[in-house]
Amino acid sequence: MIVASLISYGQAVVLGLLQGFSELFPISSLGHSVILPKLLGWNIHQNDPYFLSFLVATHLATAIVLLAFFWRDWVRILRGLGRSLRDRGIGADDYDAKLGWLLVVGTIPAGILGLLLEHQLRKIFASPESAAIFLMLNGALLYGAELVRRRAPQTDTDDDVRIAKQVGFPQAFGVGAAQALALIPGFSRSGATMGGGLLVGLSNKDAARFAFLLATPIIGAAAVLKLPELFGHQGDGVRGQALVGSLCSAVTAYLAVRFLLRFFETNRLTPFALYCAAAGAVCAIVIPFI
Amino acid sequence: MNSRSPLVTGVAVLAGVVLIVLAVVYWAEPAHSLPSFIPGHEAGSNHHHVKHGIASFFVGLALLVFAWFQTGKKQPA
Repeated sequence: MIVASLISYGQAVVLGLLQGFSELFPISSLGHSVILPKLLGWNIHQNDPYFLSFLVATHLATAIVLLAFFWRDWVRILRGLGRSLRDRGIGADDYDAKLGWLLVVGTIPAGILGLLLEHQLRKIFASPESAAIFLMLNGALLYGAELVRRRAPQTDTDDDVRIAKQVGFPQAFGVGAAQALALIPGFSRSGATMGGGLLVGLSNKDAARFAFLLATPIIGAAAVLKLPELFGHQGDGVRGQALVGSLCSAVTAYLAVRFLLRFFETNRLTPFALYCAAAGAVCAIVIPFI
Repeated sequence: MNSRSPLVTGVAVLAGVVLIVLAVVYWAEPAHSLPSFIPGHEAGSNHHHVKHGIASFFVGLALLVFAWFQTGKKQPA
């Protein structure tokens, strides 16, 4: 019988707060949710069914916050998609439609790779040790993206017009596929998409915006797909904690997206790259002795 | 999306329909009942490959949308 103490309410608060901001910061939420319980000596493991159910709830909260934050943009984008389907083509100056199809094209590879590989990768790379090493590599990836980024002239004042003009469909597909890296704990989904955005010539701000828009359907769909597990027997004993964790996750996700959109107006991925490299290195050294 | 070819459109429609039918097969049939040439066939397994079905459905849908765009008027560059 599953008892209510699988995750305490205190742990749910900490993990919820962590999930909300680390999902959107380019620092790997999955990596942190694998490493932190180990560092704190909690008997919580990434592949435990009840922990997966807990994570489903916090992910759903993050997706809802993202959807609410960009609600007006999504309404415009969905109208654009509708127009393009009606007209059987994307109008030359219909940037909402173009952005909508870029998001669709970017979501397809991430969704398929996630559906087909998630279970296997989670089993192979579930250990805190491997998460620490991949966190270091995530830092290298972010730093590398800043080093080799393309710098395109920024002529339009509207964020979405700039993104729609700068990103092509093959590039959206590539950026979307890069999200699959996040199936490995330690690699960041938003880091992969932001890095990909820089490589195709977006500014840091536009790359972050594109990453958040791209994250919404994939995080939401992954959470909805696994929601039956939360309401099934795997959720026994963790539903209350999952609700508390979700509320905490929603608060930090909202603060994170507000902060990051402002941060990237003038800043780069470099601080996050340094954090990931340093945190990953320290954890890789410390964890074997815990 | 500016090149228009009836052959490409036809192939996309055909592949899209096949993939959507395949998705239904994945959802309806357990792994042991799937034809042996379909990925996911496992003798003796009662597991339903729901995720395979979802992936197949969305790729099929994407191909049908692609075909739909192919039949539209050419957009000015």
